[in-house]
Amino acid sequence: MGKPSPTRTIARSDFKRISEQVWEIPRDFREDMRAPARLYADEALLEASLTDNSVEQLVNTATLPGIVKYAIAMPDIHQGYGFPIGGVVATKLPDGIISPGGVGYDINCGVRLLASEALAEEISPFLNDLASAIYRNCPSGVGVHGEIKLQDAELDKVLVEGARWTRERSLARKEDLEHTEEFGAMPGADPEYVSHKARERGRGQLGTLGAGNHFIEVDRVTEVYDETVAERLGLFPGQAVVQIHCGSRGFGHQVCEDYVARFQKTVRDLGIELPDRELVCAPFASEDGQQYFHAMACAANFAFANRQVLAGHIRRSFEQVLAGKVLAFDLHQVYDIAHNMAKIEEHEVGGTRMQVCVHRKGATRAFGPGSPGLPDDLRDIGQPVLIPGSMGTASYVLIGTLDSMERTFGSTCHGAGRVWSRARARKMVRGEELRQELKSRGIAVRAGSISGLAEEAPQAYKDVSRVVDVVERAGIGKKVARLEPVAVVKG
Amino acid sequence: MANDSQFREVEHTADRAFTVRGRDLAELFVLAAHALCAIQGQPTDTQETVSREVEVSGVDRETLLVNWLNEILYLQDVHQESYSGFQVIAISETFLRASLHGEPNASIRRSIKAVTFHGLKIERLPDGWEATLVVDV
Repeated sequence: MGKPSPTRTIARSDFKRISEQVWEIPRDFREDMRAPARLYADEALLEASLTDNSVEQLVNTATLPGIVKYAIAMPDIHQGYGFPIGGVVATKLPDGIISPGGVGYDINCGVRLLASEALAEEISPFLNDLASAIYRNCPSGVGVHGEIKLQDAELDKVLVEGARWTRERSLARKEDLEHTEEFGAMPGADPEYVSHKARERGRGQLGTLGAGNHFIEVDRVTEVYDETVAERLGLFPGQAVVQIHCGSRGFGHQVCEDYVARFQKTVRDLGIELPDRELVCAPFASEDGQQYFHAMACAANFAFANRQVLAGHIRRSFEQVLAGKVLAFDLHQVYDIAHNMAKIEEHEVGGTRMQVCVHRKGATRAFGPGSPGLPDDLRDIGQPVLIPGSMGTASYVLIGTLDSMERTFGSTCHGAGRVWSRARARKMVRGEELRQELKSRGIAVRAGSISGLAEEAPQAYKDVSRVVDVVERAGIGKKVARLEPVAVVKG
Repeated sequence: MANDSQFREVEHTADRAFTVRGRDLAELFVLAAHALCAIQGQPTDTQETVSREVEVSGVDRETLLVNWLNEILYLQDVHQESYSGFQVIAISETFLRASLHGEPNASIRRSIKAVTFHGLKIERLPDGWEATLVVDV
């Protein structure tokens, strides 16, 4: 095989089939690759991945210094910037790199699932009021500020304590924190490495949803695939549950911007050659690498706190609308996951246990039974994995597997994955018609931007059920329950 | 405000990408700022009642351009303002001083999280400069 340039179009024939759901681009495909690149997909999703530059982006990540095993992409892969969305890269510590672009601008963008004890049909007469209350109580939109204004000392506490900070304000229950990845506080956070600009952006934005693809959704559990695990998670058919999808807001964006800009010089000084400037990185153990990790952990904690405050607002909305009308409206936390993060984990590589830095960019940690980092009450079943679908379509709750530990550094997919550009979605879908269509299906919609609604139309995404089926067949996640929306709130 | 002849959107599955041309680097930077505002769906007729002056640096002109555009997003976010007027006061390959003019109570319809370095190019053309940028939305 020749040594194609990074700009060569990648064809299906460049893949070697490893198994039914695993496709590999060998290491010798491109001179600069340091590991093979593996894609989890069925035939149709493989074809879909070849319609944009996402596979080239996957191959680019295989060039990162210190990468172990292979660069991995999930079946919801789509074109991003630097890493593809759906990408997983692990680098060997201490010398392997950490890349801010491998985490992305929305550090610890993630999903939280809250579950009531009520049936969706019990709350359906009050659904419009509930959607309005959530929309009112959870500030949304571009650059929106919330009701909490953080002075420096208090902001520092948020950055170190994450969701735990909200306990003082009675916005978190003990079990919320236990059922949050990293127990709601990522270790290693040090506000000293966060810029003044990040602080300025963050101090007014805690407890806000933002805009873009972030949402709050009230769902109904429409199917349970694993009754035992569902029962352990407190999920049952017909139940009303709530998903929150958002991240670290302007705070996280600024942390990433600061370090991507700074690392432009770092890679030059260290002579690290990369096929894309968004992949800039620094050795994890270096001063630059450590400082980014400390700052990233602060942003991750900001996001955990943000979703926790939003959870408080949603509980308040349920109480305002449903108290005295529906008995079991209280919401318990099923779990909270991150899908944009870099973490220090121990995994087996070539028969040896080693510490690695796992970058998940649009991918979810999916630790199997017995893994460290799981709460005591879930350790024997594995980590809950929350996979939101596109607007108006199904979402899934999965559980992590032992096979994911072995094959994908304990990772699985994160969502449906886009297939249409936003421009195409706006051209093909009228936001108002979409709102009417969702309404005719009994879904209450509250959205600040109609064109934003069109950009998130279900047609713009892959079929999430197909994506989830692939990860289940591949053994890197097991289906527990399916959710379908009854109310959608967006910025 | 930039129009179709001043910037062109490039197909991108998840985010937004565009190319912009200017007769010189100063115009390129101003028109890139206008393109950013157009992508955010900002109104074109702001009153320009607020002004801010900024200084931005970067290790090369590409970094300088990204840092300039991200500075605009930062100021929007922190001050909740929208800008429609941009003037370059001084520019080199690694340093920019510029002023921004706009109004408070930003009316920004579409979110841009950040301007990225992905696929970033600034190319010299016979009659000026062209930049290609991808923004995270």
